[in-house]
Amino acid sequence: MTLEKENISSKELAFAVFCFIHGTVLRSGFIISVTRNDSWAMAFTGLLFMLPIVAIYAGLLRKFPGKSLVEIDDIIFGPILGKVISALYLFFFASLAALNTRDLGNFVAVHMMPETPIAAAIAVFLLGCVYTLRKGIENLINLSTLLFIISAGALALNAILVLKEVQPEFLKPLFRLEPQKYVQATVSVTAVPMGEVLAFTMLTPMLGKNGKAAKPLLLGLVLSSVSMAIVLMRDIVTLGPLVSIVSLPAFESIRYVSLGDILTRLESVYGVILIILFLLKVSILLYAFVLGLTQMLSGKRRPLSNPGHEGQASGTAQSLNSKNHPPLILISAALVFFYSLFVFESMMENKNWGATTAPFFSLTFEFLLPAVSLLVACLRKLGRAREVKA
Amino acid sequence: MIKKAVKTGRKLFLPFSLSFSRQRREKARRATAVLLCTLLILSLSSCWSRRELNTLAIVLGTGLDVGDQPDTLKLTAQVVKASAIGSGSTAKAGGAGEKAYVNISYTDKSVLSVLRGITHMQSRRPYFSHNEVFIFSSDLAKRDMAEGLDAFARDYESRLHADLLISKGKASDILQGEAALEKIPARQIGDMMEDQEINSETAVVTLRDFSIATLSGSKAPVAPMIEVYESGGEKHIKLEDTAVFKGGKMIGELDKSQTRGLLWVTNQAKSGVKTLDTRWGQVVLEIFDSNSKLKPVKNGDGTIRMELTVNGDGTIESNETNEDMSRLENVEMLKGLMKEAIRADIENALHQARTLSADVFGFGEAIHQEYPEEWEKMKENWEREFPKIGLNVQVNVMLHSTGSLTEPVVPGGGQ
Repeated sequence: MTLEKENISSKELAFAVFCFIHGTVLRSGFIISVTRNDSWAMAFTGLLFMLPIVAIYAGLLRKFPGKSLVEIDDIIFGPILGKVISALYLFFFASLAALNTRDLGNFVAVHMMPETPIAAAIAVFLLGCVYTLRKGIENLINLSTLLFIISAGALALNAILVLKEVQPEFLKPLFRLEPQKYVQATVSVTAVPMGEVLAFTMLTPMLGKNGKAAKPLLLGLVLSSVSMAIVLMRDIVTLGPLVSIVSLPAFESIRYVSLGDILTRLESVYGVILIILFLLKVSILLYAFVLGLTQMLSGKRRPLSNPGHEGQASGTAQSLNSKNHPPLILISAALVFFYSLFVFESMMENKNWGATTAPFFSLTFEFLLPAVSLLVACLRKLGRAREVKA
Repeated sequence: MIKKAVKTGRKLFLPFSLSFSRQRREKARRATAVLLCTLLILSLSSCWSRRELNTLAIVLGTGLDVGDQPDTLKLTAQVVKASAIGSGSTAKAGGAGEKAYVNISYTDKSVLSVLRGITHMQSRRPYFSHNEVFIFSSDLAKRDMAEGLDAFARDYESRLHADLLISKGKASDILQGEAALEKIPARQIGDMMEDQEINSETAVVTLRDFSIATLSGSKAPVAPMIEVYESGGEKHIKLEDTAVFKGGKMIGELDKSQTRGLLWVTNQAKSGVKTLDTRWGQVVLEIFDSNSKLKPVKNGDGTIRMELTVNGDGTIESNETNEDMSRLENVEMLKGLMKEAIRADIENALHQARTLSADVFGFGEAIHQEYPEEWEKMKENWEREFPKIGLNVQVNVMLHSTGSLTEPVVPGGGQ
């Protein structure tokens, strides 16, 4: 399957990265319970910590241009070990998809439709993702510019409208907590929303051979760290000490908007944006999983994306239509559906996982495995350097 | 090649997957469409957990009292009777004297069991999204605020916007007061709270403000008090005084002057009227657009004192004397009197706060924000430290105009 073609631009990819991260930023409040009124600064330290990780991804993608993560594994570790490593990545993508689906399901079930079983909400949501993927992931990525404008606009609107209620002194005193708390929060920010951009290494082949993946990834990360700082700061100055005890700070602070008793109850805007952003996020994760699975299963018979090698293959796939999606989407969505249903028993368990285990779980896949891959690639002198010599 | 790859995938995972001929595919599509349409018809019965307007009891005000039995709460929910509201503003046309609200009371162990308990007596379920006021009786407040506060802040339906009040008598009596201009007492209280900024004599506190103050640890939360008074055989309500809390319990009150002082310190006094006694008689000043700034300052010996700067802008609203108050020396005299009056209110409030040892002004928070290191040392025995904190008050008053008259209207003044 030649799914990856030059049909997304790097600008769209950057916006997709932003939307991908922004959903989680709006949804989660666990960083705030660690660093309280200094949490906004963690958006920037998290970005700093993320830089070496992006450098690793960029290194891998530069060595093997036009290849996705799973294909790179095959080249670096050989067909057997490569498959094992790829399976680990796939497990990670599926887990993230399930966790995010569950997150959204919880939001819908708790805040919007308390009497509807969570399974119904999740099923409808995943069907939406399947539909999106069947229409082609590149269309979703193309839409990300629009989603960026909508979500950034909503963010600005909410921040401006809530200004009347804010008390800036809630930000003080600055940086008075124990240093390990800042380290913990920085690692959380890096691992949980930001590091998840690993999934985009499955999409970067769509940029085409000449597209540089590092720049859009970085641009997207910078955009989202700014938006994260704005969101966290807004929540802190609106809610004060309440911010660390409410379950959804962004939701609660938007509930505060009241302009002349007319423009109120804007949390519906928040709900709509959250669902759209999660749709994008879970679709991308699901796509990463499905594409990885297809590439793993098809193995060596899979045509290379290089048009020079397989001119005919890319010619056939050029016919851009609804068939241009990997198989097994529905089955994978079903897998994610059941996975997300049993992944956590309660929101308390979810929160505990997010605060304690999640960063280590995520960093294993986001940092450790890619770092080892790059190291092995360098030691075995694989990648572009050798290709040039040959 | 692609097709081959797809096939491999399908062979592996979808052995019974589908290589239909075109005709069969068309048939399958048609069958799916019919099935979908049938399923969609089911959804015409509308939403799953819909709640129509005529099945809701829209609560506008909630009162909490101590129950008759030990360890119980009595909750009174003021519910709108929509049919009575629609009948014109005079209410004469549609059933004279019909009240536009119903008060539903129920007693049980906790707030939520009360809310569910109400369904034993009423055909509609209470709906709290539009609740405007929470009234806690002072008896309950003196025992414990935690129960009601947590339940209402935690519940998704109610909002942290709602005003919080403490009733001097029973909270249920407040909700039965005669609301002459409004149809619903809770509405009257809610609207009244919005107007309090023009008198600056009531601390307006929402559920959010109260929760934030409670969470702070050093700050003593406050809430306005409301009481019932009788006039002409009818029961009316009025706002008076401020309740002071510590450790989740109500421990004392601030009177009118002390409440004014509190608002000056916490920068909540925006506007108000001051009646000054001069040598010649009464002069009334209106203050508008005032503000204040509280700042902790370190003394030479390392202790901390608070610096308060109050800025007030005013005009002369009424002159009951024969003296021309537009003369500059009189303006200076009025400004002096004004400063004294503001200072007296603040001193009064400070004295009461020290007596109660309750940091109603948020000195602790201000020190925590400006001098975190010193705060670490003070916070353990803040209760003993607070009364020792000095407060320097600097009042700046400007008198801008004398209203539409310069000289007073006095008999023979025109000659």
